[in-house]
Formats: sequence, C-alpha cells, structure tokens
Amino acid sequence: MIRNPYINVTLVAGATVVFIILVSFALAALSRFIAKLMGATRTKQANTFAGYLFAAPWIVGFLIFVVVPMAFSLYWSFTDYRVTANAAPNVIGFDNYTRLLFNDSGFRASIVNTLFLTVVGLPVQIAVALFLAVLLNQKTRGERIFRMAFYLPVILGFNTAVLLCWRLMLNTGTGIINQLIRALSAAFPPFGYLNRAVIFVVEIVNAFFLGISNGKFSLLIKVWEAGFPAANRVPLWVQSPLWSKMSVVFLMAWGCGAMMLIFLAGLNNIPKELHEAAEVDGANGWKRFWMVSFPLLTPYIFYNLVIGLINSLQIFEPIYVLYRDNQPLVSSTISMVYYLWQASFSHFEIGYGSAISWLIFVMILLVTAIQFKMQDRWVTYDLY
Amino acid sequence: MKKHTIFSVLGLLVSASLVLAACATPAATTQAPANTQPPAPTSAPANTPVPEATTAPEPVTLKIYLLDYTPDTIAWLKSDINPAFEKAHPGVTVEITEGSWTGWDTTFSGFFAAGDGPDIINLGSEMNTLYGESLANMDEYLGEAAWPDIKNFGPALENAKYNGHLAGLPIFTAPRYVFCRTDLAKGTLPPQNFADWITFAKDNTVIDPATNALTQQALQPVDAGSMADWQWWLLVFYSLGGELYKADGSPNFDSPEALATTQFLLDMRQATYGPAADAVGALPAGQGSPIDVNDATSTDNGAVCLAHSGWAAPSFDRPIWDKVSIEPFYGDPANFPNSKPVVLAFNDWLAVADYSKHKDLAAEWLKAAFTKEANNKWNETMGLIPARNDSQYGFVTEKPQLQREAELASKYGVGFAGIEESAKLSTIMQDALGKLITEELTPEEVVAKIQADYTDALK
Repeated sequence: MIRNPYINVTLVAGATVVFIILVSFALAALSRFIAKLMGATRTKQANTFAGYLFAAPWIVGFLIFVVVPMAFSLYWSFTDYRVTANAAPNVIGFDNYTRLLFNDSGFRASIVNTLFLTVVGLPVQIAVALFLAVLLNQKTRGERIFRMAFYLPVILGFNTAVLLCWRLMLNTGTGIINQLIRALSAAFPPFGYLNRAVIFVVEIVNAFFLGISNGKFSLLIKVWEAGFPAANRVPLWVQSPLWSKMSVVFLMAWGCGAMMLIFLAGLNNIPKELHEAAEVDGANGWKRFWMVSFPLLTPYIFYNLVIGLINSLQIFEPIYVLYRDNQPLVSSTISMVYYLWQASFSHFEIGYGSAISWLIFVMILLVTAIQFKMQDRWVTYDLY
Repeated sequence: MKKHTIFSVLGLLVSASLVLAACATPAATTQAPANTQPPAPTSAPANTPVPEATTAPEPVTLKIYLLDYTPDTIAWLKSDINPAFEKAHPGVTVEITEGSWTGWDTTFSGFFAAGDGPDIINLGSEMNTLYGESLANMDEYLGEAAWPDIKNFGPALENAKYNGHLAGLPIFTAPRYVFCRTDLAKGTLPPQNFADWITFAKDNTVIDPATNALTQQALQPVDAGSMADWQWWLLVFYSLGGELYKADGSPNFDSPEALATTQFLLDMRQATYGPAADAVGALPAGQGSPIDVNDATSTDNGAVCLAHSGWAAPSFDRPIWDKVSIEPFYGDPANFPNSKPVVLAFNDWLAVADYSKHKDLAAEWLKAAFTKEANNKWNETMGLIPARNDSQYGFVTEKPQLQREAELASKYGVGFAGIEESAKLSTIMQDALGKLITEELTPEEVVAKIQADYTDALK
C-alpha cells in the first residue's frame, strides 16, 4: 500500500464503500436464498432481494458498529482487561459483577445520584414542559417565536460551549442567576423569604441523599442544626455538594423543549368540542385542564416518561463539563454513566467498565419493561 | 413466511457477528510486552554526526501528540526542529498533533486499546507508572552508551523511567511554589508552620456580608473553591517528611503525617470559608492570575497567596511582580522534626509508545528536540524551567522570577512521580477530601478511608 496518509485514507474510504455494496448484495442474496428454501414464489424472492438490498447498508452498519462492539463488551465484562497493561484480557468469570453489586461503594453512590436526578429532575422537567406547552397552546401573538425560543436549548444541546456558559452563569459570586436572586430578594422581601425557604429544603433533601450515599448522615445533622438560612444566602450551584445535583436538575428543566413539543402536539389533538362542552357545563380553566386535557394527555406523558427516564438514567455530559475540573464535587453528583466513563477511560479498566455498562443496560431494560406493564393502569388512549 | 424470513436472516447475521467477535483476538495480544529488549536500532549511534545520506526504505510518518505547548512552541518545532530532522532523514515526515489536557485520558486509552496511534505521546508527571507497561524500553536508544547527553538531565529524568528503564525524555520542571502579594499580606510572610498559616488565613481573608462570598482569599491552593485538591495534600504531606509508601510498598495514609496534613487542610478551609454550614461563596473568577490586578477595573483579583505552578502566576512582564514573593512550602517543623521546605515538581515528558513501529526514529527525533539549545528554546516558549541542567541559561537567568524558581527547584524539589495507580488514587483522595471539607467525614475517617480504598486498589 502507498505510504501516503492522505491517499491511504482515500483508498480505505473507497474500500469501505465497495465492502458495504458487496455485503449488501450478499445479504440480499442470502435473504432470497432463505425465501426460496421456504418455498416463496419467484416474485416474492425478487421482492425479498430488493427489500434487503436497500435495507442492507443500515443493517451492515448496525452489525459492525453496534452488535459487534456489544459482543466485545459482553466478553470483556467477564475479564480483567486493562488497556494500559499491554496484556491479553484474562477471563475472571463474574468477579466484575460481584464487585460492582456487593463491594463497590462508588457505584452504589452513583446509583443514588442517578436516582435523585430521575426522581427529582425528571418530574421537574416534565412539569416545566407541560406548563410551557399549556401556555403555548393559548393562541397569542408571537407564539411561534416563543415556541422556537423554548425549543432552542434542544437544538443547542448539552455541548461543551453551552455547558461552559452555564458554569459561568451558575458561579456563586458573579453568576447572573445568583445576581438576579440577590436583586429580587433585595427588591421584594417575600421573594427573599421564599429563596431562603427553597435553599433550606433543597439542602436538607440533598444532605439526606448524600447521607444515603455515604452511609452517614452527619452532613444532614449539620444542615439541620444550622437552621433557616441567613438573609444573605444564595444557592451554591457549582460550589457545594448540596447544590451540585440541583445544577444538573436546572439544566434538565432548561432542556425540556422536546418534551414541550410532544405535549403541544397532544394538546392540539384534543377535540375542541370536549372543552366547549365542559365550558357549557360550568367548568373553569383549571377544571377543564385537569378533567379533560390531562387524562387525554396521558399517552404523551407516558412517552415523555419513558424517553425521559432512559435519558436521565444515562445522563453524562452536564456532569462531565460542570464538574470534571472540580474533583471534590464529583462524588456528590457522579452518575452511573460518569462512573462507567471513569472506570473505563480514567482508570483504564475496560473489563470493569464493560460490566458497568451491561448492568446499566439491564437496569434500563427492567425499568422500561415495568413502565410498559403499568401503562394499562393509567394511560388512556380513547378519546371518548 | 415474511416474518420467518426476516427473523431467519437477522438471526443468522447476529449469530455470525457474535462468533466473529468471540474469535477475534484483541489488539493487546499482538503486541510484545513492554519490558522485553527492543531489536537493535538501525540508526547510527548518537555521538556521531547524523548521517545525511541515510535513506529510509519507504516513506514514513513519525507522529507526535503534544499537550505541553504554546503557539510559539509549535511554530518553532515546525520551523526549526522538524525541517532539520526531515532533511537528515529523507522519506520521513514529522506530524505533530496539538492535543488538550481536557479529555487526554480518553484519547490515550483509544491509542492503547487500538494498539495504534502517535509514536511519541506527551505524558504528565505521574503517568510513568500508569502507562509504563505500554511504553517502549528506550535504554538502547537513549541510554548513556547510545546518547551521552542523557547525563545532563537532572532528577526530572526519573519521571521518564519505568522499572528503571527509560521510556522517554522530560521536557520541563514546573514545581508548585507559594507566590504571595507582599503588599496585601498581613503578618509574617511566608508562614513557617501550620499554626502560622491558620492565623494568616484568618487575618487575610475577607468575606462580604452582603453577598456572603469571599472578596479576598488568604491562600488559593490549586483549587480555590474546595481548597482540597489531592496535589495540594501531597505537597503538604511531603513537607512534613511524609513517605507515600511504607517499606513493604503498602500505602502510608495511616501515618501521623497523613493525619496532620488532612487536619491542616480542614483547618485552612475553615479559617477561610468558616464552617461548611455557613455556605460562603468562593472568590469570583478574575482576569488573569488570582494574585494579579484586573486591568479593566484596577482591582486585585482577590488572592493574597497562591500555591500553584508558574503558569497560574502572572506572566513575567506584568508589573505586579515587584510585589510578589516566591517561596517553598515550609511544612510544620514545630511539630514534625522531619519537616522540610518543599516545592512539588511536575516534570511532564515525551514517551515512546510500545506499539510504535518507529522507535529508532522516535529516539532520533527526541535527541534532536532535546539538545541543550532545543530544550532551552522549548521552555523559553512556555516560560518554564528546562529539564536539562545545562539548558538553564538565557531566559532562565535573565528573568529573576525563573532564576528564583530554578534555585528553589534544585534545592527543595520533590518529584510528583512514582505514584502507583495514580488515576485511582486521585479519585479516591478527591472523593474523601471532598467529604472532609463538608464535614461529612472527620480527618481520622478520611485517612482511614483513603488507606483502605487505596490498599484495595493496589491489589
């Protein structure tokens, strides 16, 4: 092969395309052969060939980039494979899984943190999305602009630039969020009391969760003994373990645009006659929402719940960008996937990291299966 | 029938993939172990002039992945070092990739997992034990017999060794000093023991009651907010005469020095921020170094003292240097007779990966980039102290700050190296120290936790 890196890359890319075409034809031919063995007519065989030929590029990609790496990962999860050891993986059976489930306090702490983000963050995200959708469902001026503005965070995504901006905004001293809180507290004393009350509740709840992680509740006792926060208190967003998870919840709520659009579609699908009939019967706005809109939104809530749960159980980027350079705070906010990244790419234990990834997969699978099982109890698909 | 066809085809494909995956051998088994002797080098010995007529059998690209550089460094390498090297080695092209210290570990794990990547990689001070098994034994190319210049490298060379064998060359020495603003400090400067430091912290920290945040911080040790960075802990620990490992190689976190260090970190934190429940906000981020002045507002950035490397200090052309002292950390001789002044020296280095197919060429490039003049120039572009003792001239002696730093480094330098499972130790310590400052754990519980977890990690 010619030793020029640029020509090499071009040749490899060309070879890849040829490979994909050849494999697609092979796959299509295989499917036609199987159809023939099963007694399909010539027309059916031809249709099978054509169908698989067009689907094959995706199938090939799926096999190469998903199935094969998953198979490797499953194999490595039963080994002590370390990238930097320069040695072959050594099969150790279920040791990785045993250590994870029974001996790894760090993994247990990551489960607790992920549970917090799911139990607290996800309902907040869904509630904010529903609230925004209900607001946007009112036919007002500038509705499209508002819809775009609320959806913009989804387009921007949790990329590094955006999250670095959030780090600046969440700075305790100079961040704009705390400056706004201080200004509002000074201008409206009731807001100041509300701020202090929220700080107290948040810190108590977080101290409780930290106590579960650590097996000690000394921080909870100290927070309780410190009493109601002083008037000059503001949230310590990215500075304190009592607030590190709340920063992530804040970001989750900020990124609720996709859920909002789903709810908006659901609200638009509710027949107007139902609202008109309720109005005629004397129902006010809240009653119409609660008795008419909400039950009919349950399929959309279910969808957002399933997707939201999967996303929150796999949360990684906000924690990585916000706290990677602030190591003492990592343990208070480390999620399961962050723990997986740490084991695999920081400690270079690929075998252990693979075991973590399979455990996470099983957890998500179980949770999703339970959700689908329970949907019959509360999800209404009928309109009338 | 249609469903059967679909399932049959997909089932066959998935099974075939699983069988292929199970039968495939991972990249690691095809590599030779790092500690076997390398094959005899094909290049001429280093103490003869580089032959001009040597022709490589086929075109080769020598890849170098850098993390320690400035734009001036890259410009100099591409204009001076690389062209001269390529001229001396026809057919060889040098390719430099400018990486970042953010995400380096993920990037490097990709190289070693694939068994392919840059021939020369830039590693941090403590990474010789972390990557040692995957690095090449370069004794035959860079040892004294092959390259007499090697004896001009100072103690920093130990960072570039694994199991006593050379794996590369150190670029610079960047110790952690205590920089203090003499015009802002109240009290004795520098504090000479732990009690003095606590008093200094109380006297020189200012909290604004309106915002419940710091407006002046007595000491910023590496991480301003937590004051609980593991590297800061190690600096203090070494200043007490502490040894990281016992004679049998087991961790030494159950020593009196470890407990005293942990208690000191907590005391300093509380002398600055008060109890954790007070929830005092950190110093706002300023423009430039924490001990410098903000040009836009003409106000101080808030730190009186800074315990960090030179790159966190103001640049040498700043006028603030008239009011800045540079000192080691003096430990606590009042309570620990083995205390000594310490500057914790970070010696980043360039290593040759064991998967490299061009170890001889890599060695030649290193020799070219680490001559006396080249090591001086590289560090001049970065404002750091050259690793070679004979390269510490010119800008090193012309800048009074660097001269002072070099003097302290040679007298009090302790290498940040030889740490087993450094990545895991960092995680373990940061986790425990994070719980120390929030008072979730007492100092005794912290050292016990670190001792237990680290002992487990070393098994």
